[in-house]
Amino acid sequence: MQRKFSNYLLFAAAIAILAGGLKIAGWLPMLTQRDLMRKYASVEDVKAELSFREIRVPSYFPQNLSWPPSTVLAQGKPFPALIMEFEQAGGKSAGLVISQSGSASFRTDGRIKIAQLKEKVGYPLKGRDATLEVGTCGNGDPCSRISWSEGNTHITVAARSTPLELIKVAESMFR
Amino acid sequence: MSLSDFFTSLPGLYATQAFFHSLVAAAIVEIAIVAFRIASPFVRLRLLLIAIVFPVFSYPLYQLADPGRGSVYFRMSALFDSSRWINIGLPWGVPLGAVLLLVFSITALVFLAQELLPILRHTFVSRKYGPPGELREGGDASVRAALEPLPVEKPETHILEDEDPVLFSSTGKKASIYLSSGLLKVLRAEELQAALAHEIAHIMRSRRPFLLPVFFVRIVMFFNPVALVEFRRSVQEDEKICDEMAASFTKKPLELAGALRKLYLDPGPAEDAGTDGGSRVSDRIEEYSHRLNIESRIARLENRPGSPSGGDWPVFLLTLCAVIVIDYFVV
Repeated sequence: MQRKFSNYLLFAAAIAILAGGLKIAGWLPMLTQRDLMRKYASVEDVKAELSFREIRVPSYFPQNLSWPPSTVLAQGKPFPALIMEFEQAGGKSAGLVISQSGSASFRTDGRIKIAQLKEKVGYPLKGRDATLEVGTCGNGDPCSRISWSEGNTHITVAARSTPLELIKVAESMFR
Repeated sequence: MSLSDFFTSLPGLYATQAFFHSLVAAAIVEIAIVAFRIASPFVRLRLLLIAIVFPVFSYPLYQLADPGRGSVYFRMSALFDSSRWINIGLPWGVPLGAVLLLVFSITALVFLAQELLPILRHTFVSRKYGPPGELREGGDASVRAALEPLPVEKPETHILEDEDPVLFSSTGKKASIYLSSGLLKVLRAEELQAALAHEIAHIMRSRRPFLLPVFFVRIVMFFNPVALVEFRRSVQEDEKICDEMAASFTKKPLELAGALRKLYLDPGPAEDAGTDGGSRVSDRIEEYSHRLNIESRIARLENRPGSPSGGDWPVFLLTLCAVIVIDYFVV
């Protein structure tokens, strides 16, 4: 059966309205639920609005990273979680991403993604059993990630750098 | 395991995304049916199958294609993030996800009671006890005469000694049509031929190899209320397809319409219709829905059904593409 252009136009318009409706429906809970994952201006704002017992911040920063975090994302439920992104100086891409969450299923692999994993080993981090992953990002730059648990909190630190720099950052998170 | 643990686990993510993917797919299919004014039951059935089949595979396929789809960043930029709704706190301290879980549980019970158990019972009973009633020896001359002109392979027919009008087909190793002596009294020769042609169409369609996988897909979606509704709609479309096939065999669609009217719409024993009670209300709603479906089938037959063919593949592919793209951004 031959279809008219108007049929296709109607279909496309209705699909666009559906997509818009989905976007609005996805955004509506943000109006009433303050503790869903959202952007915060600073780590202090997160502390003030959500009941975080402890936020671990590194005291050592490689020179190519800028403080304060360029992006802070946090949620209070279904489990507390916090992401801090630090930009590379002069650049626009994230050079360091630190996440702390109450669930192991929480995934932050997006800003710094290891495209090619070269090594994944256990690493003793100040008495904790950590997992160290080393590889390269999509553009071939060195990328590394280290993750460990502190009680019920799962911490992951990912950086666009060598594992040496990354471990220094991670170790500086313990007082 | 807490509720949030379930919804962040693999089965929880699968169930939630399958539900929302089928909901979106059903909406897109509906848009396609309206926008392209699709009347052919063949094309409608094919479109409905998108909403039933695609969500079974969508989540694992999307995750394989893009493992980063489950990350916070993807969720925050998605069209729809189901976890935001699931984690909405209700006044009595439980998240909205508990309601979704309740809906899944009720759907699973409905599927078990109304679809799976009847099929298993039917299979078990027919294998163990044979036909459901006393069979007339030697068949019936009027049935043989009705079948003779039909341009298709003739199945075996069995006459059940029963005053109620009964007609159904079995599609085991040897396909057969069962009809009651009561039915032979109600229908005229042409109407009987049309009704038999409809059952033959069911037998022919049941031989198609894709029906079994579709049923297994239906079993996988046992918890999904959208799949339940869409599957029942697709069964109605299948009836319309068989109507069209029967009309093409006999060239007498009005006779099939007459048979349907006599068998399903003519006033029967309705003495209990006015009594109160919850179960009676649900019975009446079911009866009303059934009546609407039969009336719609009769209207199609009386308004000259189209030829029993498929076609409209561009619309199907366009709809499938829209479902794949939109559902990708529904997490």
